[in-house]
Amino acid sequence: MSRLTVTDERRKELELKVQKSRDVVREAVREFSSRELAVGWTGGKDSTLTLFIVKQVCLEDKIPIPKAMFIEEGDTFPEIIDFVNEVSKKWNVDVEICMNKDVYDAGGGVLGGKVVVSKLSPRNQREVRERLELNIESFPFEAESFIGNHLMKTVPMNMFIEKNNIKGIFQGLRWDEQPARKQDEYFEFKEGGDLQPSHTRIRPILHFRERDVWDTTFAFGIPYVRLYEQGYRSLGAKTTSKKLSNVPAWEQDLEHTVERSGRRQDKEQMMERMRRLGYM
Amino acid sequence: MDFDATNLTAIQDHKLIDLNKGAVGHMRNVILLTIDTLRRDALGIYGSKRGLSPFIDSIADRCVVFDRAQAIGPYTQTSFPGILTSSYYFDYGRSSHLSPQRVLVSEPLKSGGIVTAAFHSNPYVSDYFGWNRGWDVFRDFMEYEVSDKVPFLRGKDVNSHVKDWLSSHVKGNNYQSFFLWVHYMDVHEPYIPQREYLELAHSSTEAHALSEDDMFQLFKEVVLKRDISDRQKVALLKELYEARVREVDDYVKQFFGILEQLEVLEDCLVIVTSDHGDEFGEHGGLSHDGKMFQELVSVPLFVFDPERRQRETCDKVVSSVDIPPTINCLFGLEPVQAFQGQSLFPLSEYKERGCFGEAIEKLGHSIKETDKEVYYYLAGNLKIIYRGNIDAWEMYDLQNDPNEINNIIPTVPKEEEMTCEQAHMKAILKARIGRWKET
Repeated sequence: MSRLTVTDERRKELELKVQKSRDVVREAVREFSSRELAVGWTGGKDSTLTLFIVKQVCLEDKIPIPKAMFIEEGDTFPEIIDFVNEVSKKWNVDVEICMNKDVYDAGGGVLGGKVVVSKLSPRNQREVRERLELNIESFPFEAESFIGNHLMKTVPMNMFIEKNNIKGIFQGLRWDEQPARKQDEYFEFKEGGDLQPSHTRIRPILHFRERDVWDTTFAFGIPYVRLYEQGYRSLGAKTTSKKLSNVPAWEQDLEHTVERSGRRQDKEQMMERMRRLGYM
Repeated sequence: MDFDATNLTAIQDHKLIDLNKGAVGHMRNVILLTIDTLRRDALGIYGSKRGLSPFIDSIADRCVVFDRAQAIGPYTQTSFPGILTSSYYFDYGRSSHLSPQRVLVSEPLKSGGIVTAAFHSNPYVSDYFGWNRGWDVFRDFMEYEVSDKVPFLRGKDVNSHVKDWLSSHVKGNNYQSFFLWVHYMDVHEPYIPQREYLELAHSSTEAHALSEDDMFQLFKEVVLKRDISDRQKVALLKELYEARVREVDDYVKQFFGILEQLEVLEDCLVIVTSDHGDEFGEHGGLSHDGKMFQELVSVPLFVFDPERRQRETCDKVVSSVDIPPTINCLFGLEPVQAFQGQSLFPLSEYKERGCFGEAIEKLGHSIKETDKEVYYYLAGNLKIIYRGNIDAWEMYDLQNDPNEINNIIPTVPKEEEMTCEQAHMKAILKARIGRWKET
């Protein structure tokens, strides 16, 4: 198995980066109780690192580890589901699997399956008509389209926040991941509204570069899903994520190639293009 | 000028036969070339004396030029449903997502055995928003890294991808008929032209002294803030815009060169248009917000016909919803029920019905939930506008007041305060208001 080794000097650098993340987590746990916090966990390298740091701080401070929120968008790699189950047991973390089952079932559980809007739950019908302002009878089921992204990711997250009365949610976003993230802050308050609960987004590992994440993962013995070893560099929905190489992610040219190039363009990339055209 | 109406019909019929012979129902290939944000009045073929479009002007003799073409909305999300689906923005709610119920022109073509290919870099008509249906090749280049100063693929880069695809497609002469859609973003803000085009567009101007950073600063400080208080800066921005028009004319030239080089130009009918115009202070704003004035919704539209040797001008009011039925008809395919426009050809059979436009009346580019709708209807020389945000009506006489300065009806008009014609136009437009909420 391919592994990375990290020099002592590099380890010290990484410890400083982790320390910065721990400070952010500490600030969050001062502001909110563990019950009011949650960790958005996709099973990917960044959110797993985030969860690891949150867990360490909580163990040291002798406070309960916040719940993890795993969004099942209906097109997930089985390897990721196995990984999440395995690691949550090992770390003793409570994971809530959030899925918009109503929409998934309406599409017959297949990609491209026809979802008839009038047959959806009242909440999902309102999400389509009022939040997305779409006046349509049906749409094809997909996890990463404009409609799919909202119904299968945003809606389950909002419902999770409402149901558990969550005030702050940890996210594993990084500045260098893509240009759209460059302006992100460690703490961002999201104003609520109809169908959208207000909450704070907390991003402890913003300052980590992709290389830092891998080095930290190996230096601290943090588990990672095997797909990265097979050459996947960034993980999205199963059918739209491609591996562009057969060498492990950490052996690829991280500095000169684009991290998310194996993935379908997503909401953030679209938003970034629009912002640059003057639309924000 | 006096002219004999019977004579005109005869001339049209003569041309029509030409067009029939060479085009309608028999066209081997059709190309749709769209140029984002290109104002009608920037082009020489529409009377501009600025010299920004030497190539386009040079092919005018081989074109049918539509003098009064209208976009159905003032920004991409509102206008492209017309150009590619022959439907209006509010037909299925007011979302940026392309409703699955709309029929993209690529879909019937593909089913009809035509190879369909799209090359563009506008996020609003990308795969993400559902515009990839029915295409054999759909490249939106969203995966490409772009810079703040050029936040899209340049026309020449789009051309190079088109060339790669086209040269492999037409290899040998037994290739399948194709429909190709190519879209250039170069004219769209942030208006940072290359120096050579700035010099080509303007012999001497203050703009020559600007660095790219200065230009970007102007975009941020003036365009993004919609600040027209300094008229000199607005004039400077217009010059930068014009330099980009000059640049895009070169990309059109390069594109026609590719068709010629691959020996397919004589087998292609090329429809050229724009999705909307751009404002430089004409009605108090900049860029293209939710307004319905002619600097935003009148668009260039001309059709290059390889059989043609003399320019023909059509002065009927036509709409971008007419483009998909035209393409369909040029390939001789069955009409598509869902298309709301009509084929532009044969010209003599085109029935003027007036044009509609719909958008959200937003200021700046982000849409707030509280922003209401704005609509227009243009027939003959009159244009009526309804603004939902302030619940007010406006009407302009485009012949005597082409700049749309003098509203000729009360903002809350009563029947008796309007002429029959005005009241009739109001009734027609009123029937469309609020339509998007109906299920």
